Amino acid sequence: MKDPSMTPSPPKLSIDADRSTDAASDLRTAKASFLGVFLSTFITIFLAELGDKTQVATLLISAQSHKPVTVFIGAAAALIGTSLVGVLLGQWLAQRVSPETLDILAGILLLVISVGLVADVVAL
Amino acid sequence: MPFDWNLLGVSFVTVFLSELGDKSQLAAIALGGSSSSPKAVFFGTAAALVLASFLGVLLGEGTAQILPEQTVKGIAAIGFALMAVRLLWPDGDL
Repeated sequence: MKDPSMTPSPPKLSIDADRSTDAASDLRTAKASFLGVFLSTFITIFLAELGDKTQVATLLISAQSHKPVTVFIGAAAALIGTSLVGVLLGQWLAQRVSPETLDILAGILLLVISVGLVADVVAL
Repeated sequence: MPFDWNLLGVSFVTVFLSELGDKSQLAAIALGGSSSSPKAVFFGTAAALVLASFLGVLLGEGTAQILPEQTVKGIAAIGFALMAVRLLWPDGDL
């Protein structure tokens, strides 16, 4: 997380200037940030979802029906669907709200999720 | 034995409704809108959710014994807080 290439220097303000100066390093930065974003998203969401209600629902249906493969296909399709809807909704908002406002809203939303998880931990 | 489309539908609808507006989807909205690579957010979110439900089906209630839920959720809370801090104070060294 301390990789300097991952800090979002000023991509939102000067994308074109960055592209024209050093395309190769830009590509490297893009790749590093793809992997960084992928991994940070993957790890946090995976940990947050372990033992959560969706997982419980999945295992209950699976245990009742004795057809885990079918249940898994249904659950996986639904989860891919909700992720896609979520990201598209974020993109849709990004076109309507300024990047600064969106970052603040997104930051607050992530803080709320974090506090919710802490509340879960305390309640356990 | 014919493929159980009904069960597939029940699983899909149950999980879809249970995830709608849940924290993972909210996180996907927050990160998908503000991230430089929304594709990475989508793949990361979808992969994490699919793996979590795969483990749910595979292990059943065993996950709670292997991984203590409090610790796991605590780490997730720190992860979300870090991402929030990075968005709110982008000049910080996080």
